[in-house]
Amino acid sequence: MVEPLRALLALCCLALLTAPAAAAPLDRARFAADLCGDGAAQVRGAEGLVQAGGDLPADDLTFAGRLLGALAERRLSCPADGALLLDRPGAPEGHDALTGAVRPAPEARAPVLGLRQRAVIETARGAVALLTGPDPAARAAGLAVVERRIATVPAALLDRARDAETDAGLKATIAGLAQATALSSPDPARRRAAIAAVAASPSGTAQARLAALKGDPAYAADPAFRAALDAGLAKVSRAVAIGDGLAVVYNGLSFASILFMAAAGLAIIFGLMGVINLAQGEFIMLGAYATYGVQEAFRRFAPGLLDLYLFAAIPVAFGAVALVGITVEALILRHLYRRPLMSLLATWAVSLFLVNLVRVTVGTQNLQFVMPAYVSGGVPLYADFVMTWNRLFAIGFAVATLVLTLLILRRTPLGLDIRAVTQNRDMAACLGLPTRRIDRLAFGLGSGLAGLAGVALCPIYSVNPGMGAGFIVDSFMVVVLGGVGSLLGTLVAALGVGGANVLIEPISGAVAAKVIVLVGIILFLQRRPEGLFAVRRRR
Amino acid sequence: MTHLTRRGFVGTAALLAAPALIRPAFAADTVKLGCLFSSSGTMANLEGRLNHVVRMAADEINGRGGVNGRQIEVLTSDPASDWPLYAQVGRQMLQQEKVAALFGCWTSVSRKSVLPVVEQNDGLLFYPLHFEGDENSKNVVYVNSPPASSVLPAVDYLMGPDGVGAKRFFMIGSDYVWPRTINKQLKGYWKSKGIPESAWREEYVPFGFSNFQTLVNQVRSFASQPGGQAIVVLTVVGSSIPDFLREFANQGISATDVPILGLDMVEADLEGLDTGKLVGHLNCWAYLQAAKGERNRKFLADWAAYVKAKNVPFSADTVIDPMVSAYDSVNLWALAAAKAGSFAVPEVRKAFAGLSFDDPSGYTLTMTGENNYVSRGVFIGSVNEKRGFDVLWQSPNAPAPVPFSPYG
Repeated sequence: MVEPLRALLALCCLALLTAPAAAAPLDRARFAADLCGDGAAQVRGAEGLVQAGGDLPADDLTFAGRLLGALAERRLSCPADGALLLDRPGAPEGHDALTGAVRPAPEARAPVLGLRQRAVIETARGAVALLTGPDPAARAAGLAVVERRIATVPAALLDRARDAETDAGLKATIAGLAQATALSSPDPARRRAAIAAVAASPSGTAQARLAALKGDPAYAADPAFRAALDAGLAKVSRAVAIGDGLAVVYNGLSFASILFMAAAGLAIIFGLMGVINLAQGEFIMLGAYATYGVQEAFRRFAPGLLDLYLFAAIPVAFGAVALVGITVEALILRHLYRRPLMSLLATWAVSLFLVNLVRVTVGTQNLQFVMPAYVSGGVPLYADFVMTWNRLFAIGFAVATLVLTLLILRRTPLGLDIRAVTQNRDMAACLGLPTRRIDRLAFGLGSGLAGLAGVALCPIYSVNPGMGAGFIVDSFMVVVLGGVGSLLGTLVAALGVGGANVLIEPISGAVAAKVIVLVGIILFLQRRPEGLFAVRRRR
Repeated sequence: MTHLTRRGFVGTAALLAAPALIRPAFAADTVKLGCLFSSSGTMANLEGRLNHVVRMAADEINGRGGVNGRQIEVLTSDPASDWPLYAQVGRQMLQQEKVAALFGCWTSVSRKSVLPVVEQNDGLLFYPLHFEGDENSKNVVYVNSPPASSVLPAVDYLMGPDGVGAKRFFMIGSDYVWPRTINKQLKGYWKSKGIPESAWREEYVPFGFSNFQTLVNQVRSFASQPGGQAIVVLTVVGSSIPDFLREFANQGISATDVPILGLDMVEADLEGLDTGKLVGHLNCWAYLQAAKGERNRKFLADWAAYVKAKNVPFSADTVIDPMVSAYDSVNLWALAAAKAGSFAVPEVRKAFAGLSFDDPSGYTLTMTGENNYVSRGVFIGSVNEKRGFDVLWQSPNAPAPVPFSPYG
């Protein structure tokens, strides 16, 4: 083991010293053997490739990329007679890595990557994609991977990528990155340029890299360097602070939107009928299960449109859960209107029934949802602030729900009736309004809103029969704080509770945040029992 | 209010509590075993499976003629993820049903609540979860590993050259005894290695917490600070695990940036997640579904067949460590009872010394007369694209358990 290692080292030194103008080819057999070797060998192979990447011929890079991809995806099989590329993990035969000939794959070791190996191999794959990617998008993706571990990437590789790049925007990005690698260059001008380049894309990591330079001897000796570093650091710090602020606002908004969606239906039901609906959380759960049903129907009948199932689920979840709500009202609640505590117990029983019904018929496991691109992942917006799509979906959904509900309440005959009954039930009945029928429809509307919340929660939370239990306390908190029966109050209360939680959490932890918010609400209700916005009514 | 009399309320409450807490399988001249696993509440998705595994193991033993000439009858219950209820149901099982042994609990808080009950009644509780250690009751058989033979090898791996050379640690846990004790021991361990206190952070969340945005932001900024590679030691339980993983992946942090060591993370937690962006995160258990060997292949096939035959409402192709540990528990009890020739707890307990059992993980489980701990192998798993774990590392043999941690 020592001899070949020493030889390799010598070769590396030689390669560095002579800096060959002509491309030195990759020792393909050796590279394949390295990837099939133990963890240290894999790291050696992949690191060697990145180091030499600046001057390898293109077809060698393509070859290496194929092998690295197979290794990362567990399609590399390593029988004694040489590495094999499989079409899928565990396939019975594959192509020989070196010759391309088809050979049967005996049950051989398919290496599992450790974390260290995975990082190095990801970088190597990124480097190959950056240099040989067929289109700018593929090369940009490669660059993004390389950027994560920029410290391990030689300048020659970035230079080559920059020189070969045809897309102007990407070329500039690569150039900036290449400049940023010169942070410890001996040339002071290049160093200052590097500081500016690092400061140009601010993040917590950039901040740490620049802050580390304060210990550099040049910081004390060279005033120009000092000025550049201070300016860069100030810029990055400001950007990171703004990014963190944005993240707080976004987190608060997204939590508030979830609270609002869970509480909106409750506000209507509680406000109109005084019924404390403890099954509201389970209605949310049913909405999520209805969404699952729609997804399965799409999978079965329209697999091409599967990505749109979340939108198709909106009317289905609303309708299905509204129907459940109306049934519950007709069968149970209408007999209990004058007995609030009995109706509370009855809705609790309904919630237990629904949970167990779902558990028996569907099972307790978390449901498997297809996550279309518009609700998975996120986009880094500014500094360390990442906007996650699933939360944005929930925020948008909450806004749409708010607008629609307000329209229904303010602009439709049903809304007029609901408001009339909420304000003065007896007078509304005297004027000939069918209050019982309105109760039923309003209960349906409130339940349907819970169903909608279920749709919006699918991409965020795990969907299982018990998921509703967590919402009921939070939503009552919001409804009571907002003022019974006031949708706007619910909105403001949701924003307040969500924001307060997010602000307190980093300071005192999530457990204490919940306690503090709860105590705050209790104190507030002591002062103002009717909540933030009280609807004037006569009883 | 007039309608709610006190009697009426008690009546309603009694009506609600009426469904019997304990359900027997059948009754004959049999020996009874009791299960304390919830099939409702937060733990239902995980604990629910264990009821069925215990029944499966009992069926197998009954098929071989039972124990000491008696057939095993399994009683299941539903403590509804309500910790004090575990103690109540456990007492009922021991005193009224006269079960020979109890199999149960997932969270340490439920075990702690059952502990006084089994000690007062001199019962026997088989506990199938890896846990925080620091407990040694003669009435509890700790079938899974204490931290010294589960958590510490995994943390060592991550700190070593094969892992990521971790230098800094972000601990996130649910707020109860298991995460707090584990983290206390980890801090003691790191101190003993000369790692400064500034290198770690500790955060706790309530049970069932799901809004992890702020914590993930904190992890990101913690990781970007200087001082070396950061990792997350995750000890949240139940539905918080998938919710944390989802937020982590959505914010674009990969395992090669900041790896997560999920100490309670099992295959079942990955159900419903897109694990493509989670590849490489780690867990550590005494069994992984990907374990090699004929015994594991047979167990997986048996479970799949059992699920199909009995119409069990859980996945036929997901097997998690506590399931295997529950299976081991029944077999260990049967071996001990057969060896003792009796079902009396003191006799069975005496028979534990020198017991050994070849379990599906591929290791041979052994017990000594020294304590009620079981020697298990150690696996470190790595999340793969197919919502499972690949075996990244496994111990050459089953290390002797260390009940009391020297680090906490």
